[in-house]
Amino acid sequence: MIAANNSSYLARIKPGWKFGALLVLSIALYLITSWIVLLALFIASAGLLLSARVDPKQLRLPLISITVILGIVFVLLGIQTDWLNALRSVLRLLTMCLLAYSVSLTTKFEAMLELFQQVASPIRFVGGNPAQIALAFSMTIRFIPELKKVYVEVREAQHARGLANNPLAVTVPLVIRSLKIAEETAEALDARGYDSDPAPHQR
Amino acid sequence: MDLPSIRLENVSVRYDDRAVLRDVSISLDEQRIGVIGANGAGKSTLSRLLNGLVLPTDGAVHVGGLNTRQHSKQIRREVGFVFQNPANQIIMPIVSDDIAFGLKNLSLPKSERQQRVAETLDELNISHLADRESHTLSGGEQQMVALASVLAMQPRTIVFDEPTTMLDLRNRLALQHEIAKLSQRAIVVTHDLEILEDFERVLVITDGTIAFDGDPAEAIAHYRQWSHA
Repeated sequence: MIAANNSSYLARIKPGWKFGALLVLSIALYLITSWIVLLALFIASAGLLLSARVDPKQLRLPLISITVILGIVFVLLGIQTDWLNALRSVLRLLTMCLLAYSVSLTTKFEAMLELFQQVASPIRFVGGNPAQIALAFSMTIRFIPELKKVYVEVREAQHARGLANNPLAVTVPLVIRSLKIAEETAEALDARGYDSDPAPHQR
Repeated sequence: MDLPSIRLENVSVRYDDRAVLRDVSISLDEQRIGVIGANGAGKSTLSRLLNGLVLPTDGAVHVGGLNTRQHSKQIRREVGFVFQNPANQIIMPIVSDDIAFGLKNLSLPKSERQQRVAETLDELNISHLADRESHTLSGGEQQMVALASVLAMQPRTIVFDEPTTMLDLRNRLALQHEIAKLSQRAIVVTHDLEILEDFERVLVITDGTIAFDGDPAEAIAHYRQWSHA
């Protein structure tokens, strides 16, 4: 999920503070054993998410997915250990997810990348380039939906030819088209003046 | 706007043993230049020579006196490029971030980047797309965002490689309108002959050579005649 144009009070807090707080709270959740306190924190995190004025449409699918997954976790843990332990684990995970949504949905993608570059800057000492890693990360997010589109197109084309159940018939054109996309995108990066050596202010 | 001259001097391009362009020498000084020709004639290669995406095997390409072989970085600031498939040109997941991407490469401060992004979106009447996720855009919207990302860099020449191929009529007309409005030089490689009607000069490329170079009506007539032969 990528932040849309969120204008809540959470969007005005610096990303470093938000992600720092998320990290600290996530660790703290594992130190709390009282299910009543965990329930209170879960309710508070839900309140926080609601107060962030996030578009409900953006939240619907991830919340359904997380509820289903944690429902399964609850049942399995309940059977394997005890139901109170399962409740505590699920409350912790749910709280963490809601806090993470509150942070990610109120932080612009560009701001997250900048923060990532700052946090990852020590990797320069071992020859790494945080700007390149950040670009690779953002391009991965950018091109997953494109590759999904290509997959659907290839599958439809092979289905029309009666080859829908042949993995090779789908994989080969998918790989070839992915390579073509990679080639064109590399050309676009060149055309747009991308320099793998970061500009001085980005170092 | 002062437009830098683009000169190709005895340019040949070969891929392995296959000659794609052969001994092409031209000077491009007009504001609206079209390039037409059959598939595989060498149009895309010619367009990619103009900002150093492709370097000549023989000969030289100069943009404003700078050789693309030695000054590709400066030349890419001068000559923007809009690709046929905008989906592969959009690098960032969010539209406004994508338009700012090239500006970041120019090391512009954040405030100036934001200002230029806003101005460019406004210029193309697509401010409403600023916070959209790139993959949710329609083909027409993607092409406008691709153009915006190039315009934000403020190049003096923009090369379009078959920009209308993936567009419906409405979006084609919108793009044609935007190209007509540009104060920059536009060099448009296309199969869409209508878009070239108001251009000052059209080149017809055949088998890696310039078969015709002149006004649009004559160039299109020449191309039609060649296509029927």
